[in-house]
Amino acid sequence: MEELNHGKILVVDDSDLERELLIEVLKGAGVQNGFLQARTGEEAIEILGTHYKEVGLILLDWQMPRMSGMEFMEAVVKVPQVANKAIIMVTASGTDENKKKAWAVNPNLVGYVVKPYTPESLLDVIYPFVQLKSSN
Amino acid sequence: MFFLGKKNKELDKFADLLEQGTVALFNERGDVHFSKEPSKTRRKIIEFEGKMRADGMEKYDNEPTYVSAVNFYASEKDMAQKKTLGALIIYVQQDYISKMMKLLKYPPIDDESDTAMQDSCGTLCNIISGRFKSEISIAGYIELEMSHFINYRNSAFAGVDFCYNEFDMVEVVFEIDNVRRLVMDMTMGAVPRLKTK
Repeated sequence: MEELNHGKILVVDDSDLERELLIEVLKGAGVQNGFLQARTGEEAIEILGTHYKEVGLILLDWQMPRMSGMEFMEAVVKVPQVANKAIIMVTASGTDENKKKAWAVNPNLVGYVVKPYTPESLLDVIYPFVQLKSSN
Repeated sequence: MFFLGKKNKELDKFADLLEQGTVALFNERGDVHFSKEPSKTRRKIIEFEGKMRADGMEKYDNEPTYVSAVNFYASEKDMAQKKTLGALIIYVQQDYISKMMKLLKYPPIDDESDTAMQDSCGTLCNIISGRFKSEISIAGYIELEMSHFINYRNSAFAGVDFCYNEFDMVEVVFEIDNVRRLVMDMTMGAVPRLKTK
């Protein structure tokens, strides 16, 4: 896995409110990383195309218009420059079957958070991949 | 024709699962408790040009309403081919949506922004649909595919996709402080049972 903790966090979700909530929870917990945002998988691909060196972690919704989170991951794993980016699914689809599908598409997936989540459950999964205020 | 009005016996079961999932979600997420047991009423789907009619204003005495819809499919292939198996439409009165999102511990929204209000309704529809899908799976049915949400103000002017074999939907009404605050229309075709080994 790449150097993770200092990179920007790319938040991909078609809900403005869910993106806002995610960033608010992370900032509130002392996460120091910068953020990039995309509303669809397509937008996320465009952002990765130009900012792939800066992005350390991707928080990815599943159901999005035009390009879903799964289609995004299918595209990402084929490109060596970004194939190893840490991705955490943050989605309303939370069954074991969904999780299996996600890991089948991207065996490097580092976490899976089901909406609606509690700040604690989100932070448990995200902490290893971010830089916190108190850490160097 | 004899098949008109043929009753989908499992629709009531799916309505129970929808109710159960929604109540649990509101309790867990925001410690929100509904005033009484939600009411469930079977209604005929009103079809117009192959789509299901979804009028929000008639749910709230002609008050402005936000409407969001999600479709369900039996497989990824069916989703790609737009072979719809089910639909879930949620309706929230404009005046209440920011309060509802606050109850669910979302950040404050600009209640003068139509975009923000639509997005909030869609966000709510997404989490309810995801929970509903999980409840269906836990009840022993196949894992359904789910679309992203589509939002409207007052009514879904072009209608909502539904399973053409179905004639009925269930309207589920939730009350908070004894006032109707969340209304859903749900229809679902025959969902295959999960094969057990």
